[in-house]
Amino acid sequence: MKHHEVPSFPHRLFRWFCKERMFEELEGDLEEKFLKNKENFGLRKARRTYNAEVLKMIRPTILKRSSSGPVYGVALLGNYSTVAFRTLSKNKLFSAINILGLAMSMAIGLLAIAFATEMYSYDTFHEKGDRIYRVTSLRKNINEAPNQYASASLVTAQRLHDFGGFEKIVPMFKGFYGDIRANDKIFQFQGLFVGSDFFDVFTFPLGYGNAASALSEPFSAVITEDFALKTFSKKDVVGETLVKNDITYTITGVARTPPKTSHIQFDILASIATLKSIPEYEYLDKWGTMWSTFTYVLMPENFDMDLVMKNLIQLESEENAKVDLFEISLGLESLGSIFPGDGKYNQLRTVMPVENVNRIIILALIVLFSACFNYTNLSLARSLKRAREVGIRKVVGASRFQLFGQFIFEAVLISLISLAVGYALFLVIKPEFLELDRYISRTTSLSLTPQIGLLFFGLAIAVGVLAGFLPSLIMTRFKPSSILKGIHKMRVGKGVGVREIMTGLQFAFSMGFAILVILSYKQYNFAMNFDLGFETSNILNVELHENDPDILKAAFEGIPEVQSASYSSFIASTGTTNSDDARLLGATDSINAYNLSIDPTYLETMGHELVAGSNFTSASSEEQIIVNEKFVTDFQLGSTSDAIGTRVHFYKKNRTIVGVVKNFHYGTIRNELDPFVFLAGKTNKPYFVNLKIQSSDMVRTMEKLDEAWSTVDQEHEFKAAFYTEQIAMAYSQLSSTLKTFGLLGIVAISISILGLLGMAVYTTESRIKELTIRKVLGATFSSMALLLSKNFIKIFIVASAVAIPMSYYLFKQTIVNTMEYAIEIGFWELASGSFLIILIALVTISSQTFKAAKTNPATNLRNE
Amino acid sequence: MKGTHLGEFQEIVMLSILILDEKAYGVTIQEDLETRMNRKTSRGALQTALTRLEEKGFITSAYGEPTAERGGRRKRYYQVSNKGLETLKEAKELRQDMWKLIPKLA
Repeated sequence: MKHHEVPSFPHRLFRWFCKERMFEELEGDLEEKFLKNKENFGLRKARRTYNAEVLKMIRPTILKRSSSGPVYGVALLGNYSTVAFRTLSKNKLFSAINILGLAMSMAIGLLAIAFATEMYSYDTFHEKGDRIYRVTSLRKNINEAPNQYASASLVTAQRLHDFGGFEKIVPMFKGFYGDIRANDKIFQFQGLFVGSDFFDVFTFPLGYGNAASALSEPFSAVITEDFALKTFSKKDVVGETLVKNDITYTITGVARTPPKTSHIQFDILASIATLKSIPEYEYLDKWGTMWSTFTYVLMPENFDMDLVMKNLIQLESEENAKVDLFEISLGLESLGSIFPGDGKYNQLRTVMPVENVNRIIILALIVLFSACFNYTNLSLARSLKRAREVGIRKVVGASRFQLFGQFIFEAVLISLISLAVGYALFLVIKPEFLELDRYISRTTSLSLTPQIGLLFFGLAIAVGVLAGFLPSLIMTRFKPSSILKGIHKMRVGKGVGVREIMTGLQFAFSMGFAILVILSYKQYNFAMNFDLGFETSNILNVELHENDPDILKAAFEGIPEVQSASYSSFIASTGTTNSDDARLLGATDSINAYNLSIDPTYLETMGHELVAGSNFTSASSEEQIIVNEKFVTDFQLGSTSDAIGTRVHFYKKNRTIVGVVKNFHYGTIRNELDPFVFLAGKTNKPYFVNLKIQSSDMVRTMEKLDEAWSTVDQEHEFKAAFYTEQIAMAYSQLSSTLKTFGLLGIVAISISILGLLGMAVYTTESRIKELTIRKVLGATFSSMALLLSKNFIKIFIVASAVAIPMSYYLFKQTIVNTMEYAIEIGFWELASGSFLIILIALVTISSQTFKAAKTNPATNLRNE
Repeated sequence: MKGTHLGEFQEIVMLSILILDEKAYGVTIQEDLETRMNRKTSRGALQTALTRLEEKGFITSAYGEPTAERGGRRKRYYQVSNKGLETLKEAKELRQDMWKLIPKLA
């Protein structure tokens, strides 16, 4: 009857290994200590200490002795390890192949374990976690497919109060970040506006201040201990003030910094009551404004889900009745299902999609199985070599169970050695993995805890048992009588051909990975070299921060290497888009059109081609627009020159088309071409200055640019990136897919080739006499190579037949279907991967045949 | 193995049991050691010492009444036996004698 907060796996483990007569005392002591620690240091620390204490209980005094008597068990174990080490060192090549293969796959397995454990430990520290839910929105705009959002309007949070049935309701708004003045210095921060019950619902303990009232008044703020130390160099900062955009916030509390495994992260929390006092935020009070606001609720114990859902439906239908053009339906998701999440839009911060976690686990399992197959395969092939040992042991009186134990012990030993090597490999690939994609780099740290250490150990044991199971089973089945009659009459693994199936699977995986690497690489290259319809080389995009774009432009234009300078509201073709409904004046139908705000020099800087009309008159001529050819055809305006002068309602105003540009790709290769509108000047706030650079010494030019920047802005750093790099960033998901498949491909291929090498060595060794006699009788090298590789070639063909369609399907599903423009997949794209693997495999087999063919026949035939 | 040798840690554990008197069981001994020696001790390490001491006959132990704070599990209370006390005294005397023999200690 352990206390429910005591970690259950360590507790069970302890019960399993502890001597019975000591168990009651020790278990009681551990639990008493645990409760004390929980009182003094909190639950997390107490659990950690408990785990460590259990681990430290593993010592001879406390460990249970086996039932067959203490001395006997230990002696047997000693004997097992002696035999195991002898077998290991006798077959150095095979041991090395096994250890290397297992270690490589183990490294991937460790990665998957550390990763998955971390992902599933998110948000587990909230004491009322099982009762916390988030209200989600399914928004359907007219004529568009509905989308799931993690956010919900502030109206939702407000209206929920009318219905009751919720213990606490916490609205949140994430529009609180940037620069803040504290202690007379400027700091960058991330923050949230949150409802006053925030600390009642979530477990973020306050070091200073009163949790119940800290966020009830407008203009009050709670900051984290870390941020307090950073800004004021002390923790107790209650009563100090923070200033953002001329609004002064008084600090009413200091919270412990949120753990890394929290999907809610902040430096500062401000009371949501503040928003009511600032006219700028009035726009949030609309049912349709649900883009950056959230609603979290705390449910009472034993609440009725059906009733809650009924209330939500009632709420949404009342509100939807007041609006047209869109509908929102509300849903609930539990705290546990937020991270890893199911891919809703508008998250509070980056959320790892649950399928990414699953994908990594599956890929790791494939590689792990592949390595287990190697061990199983080689042990099975070589099992006859140990038949005599089995026979003698049985005759002397070993039970089948004991023999089984011995062989499993050997496998586990190999697996444990591999764990050590694999752990080293894991440390090597860990930094690479953390950089893999933006999801991982933003949410994962892969820090090791005792619990993860235990899991690593568990993995090694499991892998050992799994790999050793089949050979142990078969080897212990040998009958002493048939062994003593003569080993050559025995057959192993007859019938189904377990070994062939395993080798086939291994090669199918290897080929699959190889094909996927080739396809992803081609697709990535395709994306990078895609003709966007405008010039991106030698363009440097500089972040504006809050500066005046015209002043900055002027500062940069003074540098001779800058050929032209312009500004824009964002960078096209890198994944960011902005759209609004466009309507011809006098017409009723509207079409969704994408847009970008630019100054008149932009078209020249980027090399856009005007096919009709002219450029903007000036940056301030906001009533003018320039559209693309697709806009002209979709609105059926006739020829491009006919379109000039057409009046369009777009972006809240009536505007006139003054020019038409050639179609270009403002999105990524995932988007098709749609109507597009260039808006003039500062219709949307400019965020970037675009510079066309002509320079032979880029380093020097960058220095000059940096100098020019600092004449305008001393507070922010000069931040610039080449357009081509930004495009590469937009395809980082492709490059991370490429990297994942690349790494796994290398591991899987190495493992299967290692296994094949082992098999080839073994086959050649056991048929060496036959081969030598053939050679003496005049067989050629190629006929001998064919003889040895005949069986393997059959396996390879079957493996290719499985791997090619599978990887084709997988690539289509995961990559091609998300793209509007993708590579053509032909025969060679698919087959080259298979051929490559077969080639490597045949070279491996031939190398062994070559060795056999080269030796002097006399050496091989001398003894008998 | 089961001689009468007394390790340093074991000696301290016995002293701690004597200090705690009636209240000497796992958790209290562990905490006493931690505060006194100012270093982390695991319950496992303590158990080894206690088992050894009991094997040598230096301490005896008995179960107490079940208590609610431990989910109804009984505590095991430890006491130093006469033999243990003798050994402790011997160890102390040996040390004192040796201290006295150091010539250059002001």
